[in-house]
Amino acid sequence: MFKKTLSAALLGTVCAALPAFAQDPVAGGRLNLLVQPEPSGLMLGITTNAATNLVSGGIYEGLLRYDQDLTPEPSLAKSWEISEDGLTYTFHLQEGVKWHDGEPMTAHDVVFTFTEFLTETQPRHRNIMNRVASVEAPDELTVVFTLKQAFGPFIRIFAYKTAPIVPAHIYEGTDFRANEANATPIGTGPFKLDEWQRGAYIGLVKNEDYWMEGRPYLDEVIYHIIPDAASRANAYETGDLDVLPGGTIENFDIVRLQKNEGTCVDEGGWQYSSPMAWMWLNNRNAPLDNPKMRQAIMYALDRELALQVVWNGFGRVAKGPIASTTPFFDETGPLYEHNPEKAKELLAEIGYDGTPLRMLPLPYGETWQRWAEVVRQNLAQVGITLQTEATDVAGWNQKTSQWDYDLAFTFVAQNGDPELGVARNYISSQIAKGNPFNNVEGYSNPKVDELFAKAAVAVSTEERQALYTEVQQILQEDVPIAWLQELSFPTVYDCGVHNLITTANGAGNSLRDTWKEQ
Amino acid sequence: MLGFLLTRVGKAAVVLLCITVLNFLLIHLAPGDPAMVMAGEAGEADPEFIAQLRAQFGLDRPLYVQLWSYVSSVAQLDLGYSYRQNLPVLDLILQRLPATLLLSLSAFVISLGLGVLAGTIAASRQGKPADTLISTIALLFYATPLFWFALMAVLLFSVKLDWLPGYGFETIRSGYTGMERVLDIAAHLVMPAFTLGLFLMAVYVRMTRASMLEVNKHDYVRTARAKGLRPALIQRRHVLRNAILPVVTLAGLQAGQLVGGAVLIETVFAWPGIGRLMFEALAQRDYNVLLGVFVVSAAMVLMFNLVTDLAYRLVDPRIRTT
Amino acid sequence: MLDFLKRFAGNRGAVIGALLLVVTLLLAIFSPMLYPQSPWAIAQRPFLEPFTTEGYLMGTDTLGRNVASGLAHGAYISLLIGLISTLVSLAIGIPLGACAGYFGGWVDDILMRVTEFFQVIPTFAFAVVLVAILQPSLTSIITAIALVSWPPVARLLRGEVLALKSREFIEAAQLSGQSSTTIILRQIMPNTLSPVVVMSSMMIATAILTESALSFMGLGDPEIMSWGYMVGAGRTVIRQAWWISFFPGLAILLTVLAFNLIGEGLNDALNPRLRKRG
Repeated sequence: MFKKTLSAALLGTVCAALPAFAQDPVAGGRLNLLVQPEPSGLMLGITTNAATNLVSGGIYEGLLRYDQDLTPEPSLAKSWEISEDGLTYTFHLQEGVKWHDGEPMTAHDVVFTFTEFLTETQPRHRNIMNRVASVEAPDELTVVFTLKQAFGPFIRIFAYKTAPIVPAHIYEGTDFRANEANATPIGTGPFKLDEWQRGAYIGLVKNEDYWMEGRPYLDEVIYHIIPDAASRANAYETGDLDVLPGGTIENFDIVRLQKNEGTCVDEGGWQYSSPMAWMWLNNRNAPLDNPKMRQAIMYALDRELALQVVWNGFGRVAKGPIASTTPFFDETGPLYEHNPEKAKELLAEIGYDGTPLRMLPLPYGETWQRWAEVVRQNLAQVGITLQTEATDVAGWNQKTSQWDYDLAFTFVAQNGDPELGVARNYISSQIAKGNPFNNVEGYSNPKVDELFAKAAVAVSTEERQALYTEVQQILQEDVPIAWLQELSFPTVYDCGVHNLITTANGAGNSLRDTWKEQ
Repeated sequence: MLGFLLTRVGKAAVVLLCITVLNFLLIHLAPGDPAMVMAGEAGEADPEFIAQLRAQFGLDRPLYVQLWSYVSSVAQLDLGYSYRQNLPVLDLILQRLPATLLLSLSAFVISLGLGVLAGTIAASRQGKPADTLISTIALLFYATPLFWFALMAVLLFSVKLDWLPGYGFETIRSGYTGMERVLDIAAHLVMPAFTLGLFLMAVYVRMTRASMLEVNKHDYVRTARAKGLRPALIQRRHVLRNAILPVVTLAGLQAGQLVGGAVLIETVFAWPGIGRLMFEALAQRDYNVLLGVFVVSAAMVLMFNLVTDLAYRLVDPRIRTT
Repeated sequence: MLDFLKRFAGNRGAVIGALLLVVTLLLAIFSPMLYPQSPWAIAQRPFLEPFTTEGYLMGTDTLGRNVASGLAHGAYISLLIGLISTLVSLAIGIPLGACAGYFGGWVDDILMRVTEFFQVIPTFAFAVVLVAILQPSLTSIITAIALVSWPPVARLLRGEVLALKSREFIEAAQLSGQSSTTIILRQIMPNTLSPVVVMSSMMIATAILTESALSFMGLGDPEIMSWGYMVGAGRTVIRQAWWISFFPGLAILLTVLAFNLIGEGLNDALNPRLRKRG
């Protein structure tokens, strides 16, 4: 059984890794995708959730794109230079780029986006822009960023979803969040918003004035909205959908659908975010304040079983704080293989009395529910009782960000660099209530703080690697949180669709080049 | 007559006010708020971000101020604004209301029509196999979990047989107009309306049957029979006409429930209706939308009840109390 | 009493219903002995087909848990939810309806306004909101079901009491100087028993259905193995493993059927005159 699913998964990846380069792209046609849940808004600079990222990736663009190895590629920036000392980044913009309303896009829009817009709307940007001394536009097509000190990950902040370029002529001098234009997003992307029938679909149409000659190929992109997972798989089978983006159907259905002739499965497109799932262990509460208790939990978890049974083999067991697809990952021990005996020994050593612990599952559907059930059984086997607390998304956010839990499931994006997506979960300056994605577990270790701080500003890659290796070793021993799995959300699609996923941000950032056999 | 009408409208207004206030308080009891939800979806947040959102949504004001401003705006027929979706609540509801009304009314007509028909047949064949069969089938439809039935219907009629579209309100961007569009919507409507209708049918079958049997015992039916009138004619002209009254009364009560009662069906069939809107607003703590749905559906039920009562008074002047 | 039993036994449907209920009850009582292991235990490999492995009559679910064990343990939970929520709604509906009917006037007006208040909010939608706000747990599910299902009880009671109030024996009691409380409790309530019993059996059935629907919407209690939970959890793999949701679905169907049949039988047996209700 396990072998079968595994080989099926591998087959899917191989099949997807062989894009049909032999064929020439055909222009025209409509691509039917799915978006789940329905996004709350499409203005990418204001609404940043997975659903908006998927749909608005056709509407907005960043200065750069990243290929599946996270190497930067041109997007709105035609080329760029980084100075020797790592302090100056110069971007040269594409010529002839127009906003969807016909206005020309210039360096001024870029400066406005970085210095005024995103710093107000996105918390992440406030942190990053603190490291930036100035953003200037020497001419209409050049933008120069000057940093206060070298910052290795800086080149990876320019993705469409982390830094979408927004139109200054629409937003300058307005209340960004209340601007009525948010309902009718204006970007530079290959597609324009045509129609949004709430509860039914979002329709994008080809941008005829797109700056890149001959693109996009598709005439129309439709994002269907279907609330029930089983109905979504059915809609693909009846041929109403061409693409089921990652995470929209149950893993069982992926295995089932990929047996169909003409169905391709691609696990790519998640390299930028590299989502990793773990359980917050509340380091403030006894007995979880004891590293041995946390280690015991790690040994008690049968993560391989969960991967095979709950996720149907899609994903990888997590090996530590940095995902294996993220730069600077280093495999350091201990890896915490499933070992209930060892867990019991540790529990006996610390004299755990069997006090029940409260567990908060992630309310994201059946897969996560099953996962919590497996964990509960795993821990019950070694004598740790868990009390599951059911809650919805709002309740989950409230409880985790107010530290009202013992164990809580979550998954967090790594954002292409340990400094952008990893450090925030372990350094003590990130211990603050009201945020479900910072150092929620309350782990505090001056040595770890120091290593992360040094690694962020180290100029050479070797130097950064050495620092991150050391920090990984410490964290592996201390187990501030229980790393579970590097998640994979395979995309299921009709093999007649080509170039669906060509970037590290998946279909959200790749539709410019996508075409469909007619 | 006018006095009666005014009293009734006044009472309805009081009920509506209570519903608004109570639900407002209830919703604010739920853990988390829209700002927390949006922060959670964003995958990152800092206190400044959340404070900004709260200020924008007006959630930083004391609860009683929020309540007062909400109630007074509802009194002016303004249901407020969905900050999450950047649209006025009334627009959102009006976008979704037609789909729900179409679904509910069709299901209602199906259940009432089939229910009365099957109930009549069952009553006229009391104790015979046809009676048992009808009662059993009706009960089975009622006892089967609705969503299970719906999923099975999609599998059979949409995936396997490919007779009917399995989800949605109409073919997306088909460009259909006029009759073509009507037929397209009708095809999409068949499965959800029947699934919901067959579930509701059981009650009407049972009631019609019981009511017919009751009326059958009355003297005037016996007289008609003694006069030698054809049984079918007796059933139609004398029995059904009288037996239908309690059924209609019940139907009046049920019809009100239909406005927001189709959440399950809307979920399975991706029907873009108001039930779904409510459920999502609940999960996202989109307070104004959730309250708006409750206020609108309650108002419709109250209006419906009022119209039923008025109709009764006009038809039968003997009815004084309601 | 004997007469009642005879009439009840004369109704074929009612007898079938009673038998089904007895089986469910036995299952609920003896589940800890039949399946001593926790129904949550991962006992075998996942997706084991039914009727193939000894001890796993109904196969295993997506995680390898014994479906038959879940079904047995779920019987207890489902009956519990049905019974308690019905008792709670009776406890709300009966006094309210009785007072409204007996005292009439402004008391009636206010109480009926309250009832109307609960009736104009769509039932299932309101239950969903209540469970979501209170956060899913056995208690919140029972509370929500009870809160949305009492208004018909109140209306029924009010109607019954109104009809009884003008009868001679009540007037006689009033003339003999008995207090209102005594009259309501001693004279009126016993006479409303039969329609209430009939209605209760239907309400239990509806409560079990509502719990399963709540589970489908993701609002079940994750700590309890109920049939609704099992159907909800199995529905996503319905294409690969029909048995996971089929057996609990069937169990719900049969139990709901049982209560409905019993209700009809009681209706006929207790009071042939009241047959039109139900």
